[in-house]
Amino acid sequence: MTMMTLLTLILCIGILISALLATYLERRVAAVVSAGLVGLFASVTYVILSAPDVAMTEAAIGSGITTVIFLYALSKTKEQPIEQPGEQPRESNDD
Amino acid sequence: MAETILSIAAIIIMIAIALGIYRLVKGPTVVDRVIALDLLTLVSIAMIALIAHTTSRFIYIDVALVYGLLSFLSVLAVARYLEKGL
Repeated sequence: MTMMTLLTLILCIGILISALLATYLERRVAAVVSAGLVGLFASVTYVILSAPDVAMTEAAIGSGITTVIFLYALSKTKEQPIEQPGEQPRESNDD
Repeated sequence: MAETILSIAAIIIMIAIALGIYRLVKGPTVVDRVIALDLLTLVSIAMIALIAHTTSRFIYIDVALVYGLLSFLSVLAVARYLEKGL
């Protein structure tokens, strides 16, 4: 079934791009959102791999609860801009 | 006929995923990325329903149901965090 193969391929590319974004983004909230997106794509991949119970658990915990817990932990901390030594402190156009 | 319609639906879903990932990578602010997350959640629900129909295993609909119930939670948490800090 070639259409299902194409769907699986674009889902795996989505997992890769989301994981790279979660690693490289500097704003922490955007990184948490990208990390939640990894769980979302992985859940649909589990459905394609015919494991609906694993997909349901991943959707509930990996994509839903983890984002909320991460944001609750972030709200307890202070967000400071990352300053590289020897660079000009640049304007952040995030937010 | 039905095969053609399902193939067109799969192509539309793939285009929607590509556009959502583009906005996620490009989006300059956090709000753009949250909107991309919401869009990709909805597209994922549609894709799970399509897979359930093409493989004729209707237990997959339950996964889409759980997704639809929980999808608002993360977007709501991020919005509340951006507004005043959870």
